[in-house]
Amino acid sequence: MTIAVLLKQVPDTTAKITVSNGRVDENAVSKWSFSPYDEYALEAALQLKESMGGELVAITAGPARCEKLLRDAAAVGADNLVHISAENINDFDSTQMQKLLAAAVEKSGSSVVFCGKQAADTNSGSTGPGVAELIGASCITMVSEVISDSGGYLATRPSSSGHEKVAVSAPCVFAFDKGVVEMRRPNVRGIMMAKKKPIETWSIEELGLDLGTSGISIDSHSPPAEKPPGQKFEGADSVSTVVGKLRDEANVI
Amino acid sequence: MPYEALDFYDVDSLLTEEERMVRDMVRDFVDQDVIPNIEHACREGVFPDEWRVTLGEMGVLGAPLEGYGCPGLSYTAYGVICRELERGDSGLRSFASVQGSLAMYPIWDFGSEEQKQNYLPKMASGEWIGCFGLTEPDYGSNPGDMITKAEDMGDHYLLNGAKMWITNGTIAQLAVVWAKLDGVIRGFIVEKDDPGFSAPEMKGKHSLKASVTSELVFQDCKIPKDRILPGVKGLRGPFSCLNNARYGISWGAVGAAQACFDSAKEYSLSRIQFTHPIASYQLVQNKLAWMLREITKAQLLAYHLGQKKDAGTWIPEHISLAKMNNVDIALEIAREARDIHGANGILDEYCIMRHMANLESVKTYEGTHDIHNLIIGRHITGIQSFTREL
Ligand SMILES: Cc1cc2nc3c(=O)[nH]c(=O)nc-3n(C[C@H](O)[C@H](O)[C@H](O)COP(=O)(O)OP(=O)(O)OC[C@H]3O[C@@H](n4cnc5c(N)ncnc54)[C@H](O)[C@@H]3O)c2cc1C
Repeated sequence: MTIAVLLKQVPDTTAKITVSNGRVDENAVSKWSFSPYDEYALEAALQLKESMGGELVAITAGPARCEKLLRDAAAVGADNLVHISAENINDFDSTQMQKLLAAAVEKSGSSVVFCGKQAADTNSGSTGPGVAELIGASCITMVSEVISDSGGYLATRPSSSGHEKVAVSAPCVFAFDKGVVEMRRPNVRGIMMAKKKPIETWSIEELGLDLGTSGISIDSHSPPAEKPPGQKFEGADSVSTVVGKLRDEANVI
Repeated sequence: MPYEALDFYDVDSLLTEEERMVRDMVRDFVDQDVIPNIEHACREGVFPDEWRVTLGEMGVLGAPLEGYGCPGLSYTAYGVICRELERGDSGLRSFASVQGSLAMYPIWDFGSEEQKQNYLPKMASGEWIGCFGLTEPDYGSNPGDMITKAEDMGDHYLLNGAKMWITNGTIAQLAVVWAKLDGVIRGFIVEKDDPGFSAPEMKGKHSLKASVTSELVFQDCKIPKDRILPGVKGLRGPFSCLNNARYGISWGAVGAAQACFDSAKEYSLSRIQFTHPIASYQLVQNKLAWMLREITKAQLLAYHLGQKKDAGTWIPEHISLAKMNNVDIALEIAREARDIHGANGILDEYCIMRHMANLESVKTYEGTHDIHNLIIGRHITGIQSFTREL
């Protein structure tokens, strides 16, 4: 059995983001990392593979810099690495992205797909359900854990009562929220093996896709509003003002 | 604030992808497991056993050694590992240096096939800890005059003497001990339970508090004949181990300096005095600029030495220069960083004072600062000045 994990490389949460001419300046991003929910998906997929055997294929779409992400995935245990090479990933809308990923999932022969519930940069949250739709799979969202269970899978997700366990059989897609286990740290042996692993690069043409033209386009990016400066109060006289502000403006008391 | 490693000249871009992955792995370990626990470990005066386990799991012990379950990384990667560990704490790096360069290395290079097969895999995995006994109470900088001796008793060796200042001693399962057999320095493997051997811990350190330092005492200590390291005689044995450990220290010191710089930079930007951040004052900027300058030079020194180690074109004097310089500037940077932190600099809320106190040991062990000057002086002039007997 082949398990696919969809991984997106995003600016590290600690990296400073600069916007110039209405666009995020990618060249100014000092560090790229796994999107955090994808890390949980990858760890859960590794554990599932370890419990039932099979192969794990890590799939990412994006420019050449994404190969680092695949090497990192290989270092923790991904067996096969697929890079859908697309320099202009930001020009695709969510539907086009899903088409790309769905085609790669099908080409890889995977029947179980893990991904994050949303990417840390675009946050659209549509990849899991969208890919599931295209490959005709069941989709479970907000998953924190997956185990194999009598030929199928049991996924844990939130419910009105706290948690629910949902039984599903392949083909299926699990879109991960914060999982129960953090992604494992690689070790030297994994890193050395990762170096030797080939990366399969698939172009959009090789996937036989016509992505069509997008009906939407991003007009501009803008940075979050600057935090308003702090206010300073001194002396006993200002106690009532501070209490008032804490109650009415900050809503903390 | 997450740690940002100063790399002004982007020296890490010269590393291979594999070396960078190893760096990220160790840096993550230090962020997640070491930094949150180091002050507690120092206060208790213990080396947390979980760190031993994780170092073994990561597979970084004995980094540049190949075969027998050892990682087989480049010397440059070994340097990077030391740098990242020492960014956490010099005691942590000391543990790894002693295990890899001082205990595993002599077995790997001078041991018999059986010794290698018996000890190296479990030392690489961290299951067994090793220590290195060279220094004696009366013989530090001149170990050649050591008194610990071994006698050939026919079917076993008998060791008598005492070693002092031995990192990992009390927690080790194995000690590589240097002793004189018929007046010639030889290496012996002593196991924890060998009769006549004890390793009491030395207490009261103000430096390297998260590292265990011990005496090794041999009172008619009886060890089997197959525990002598067959492959080396004389001071070349311990000195080849020290070359590797000193090389690692030259990288490690950069890590400690980077940690102090990072803290000083952040602190100076947020500390307001006379209505402005102290970072806006020229005297403080001068200190930060000096730190950046020295760290950048030290990084280049360490990296180039790593390349020479990997290419096999190094001489011991190259290592002396890097060890001496990089520890020296790291200690000075720690002191300047302490100054920038004002009174806060003495608190264990910041890493500064801990690094500073640690680096005092690092300056002394593995050849004191001045012994390295003498090594370089001899190289320049051809005249040794360690002793007056010319
Ligand atoms: C925390 C810690 C851990 C250690 N771990 C180990 C270990 O695991 N294994 C081990 O074997 N040893 C270990 N050591 C010992 C260390 O290697 C010695 O302390 C070091 O070699 C210096 O020896 P010494 O302390 O006897 O100082 P000394 O040799 O007495 O030196 C004192 C001073 O005299 C100077 N000096 C000495 N000779 C000369 C000279 N000819 N000319 C000019 N100046 C000179 C020195 O530079 C120094 O400033 C450790 C030490 C410490 C502090």
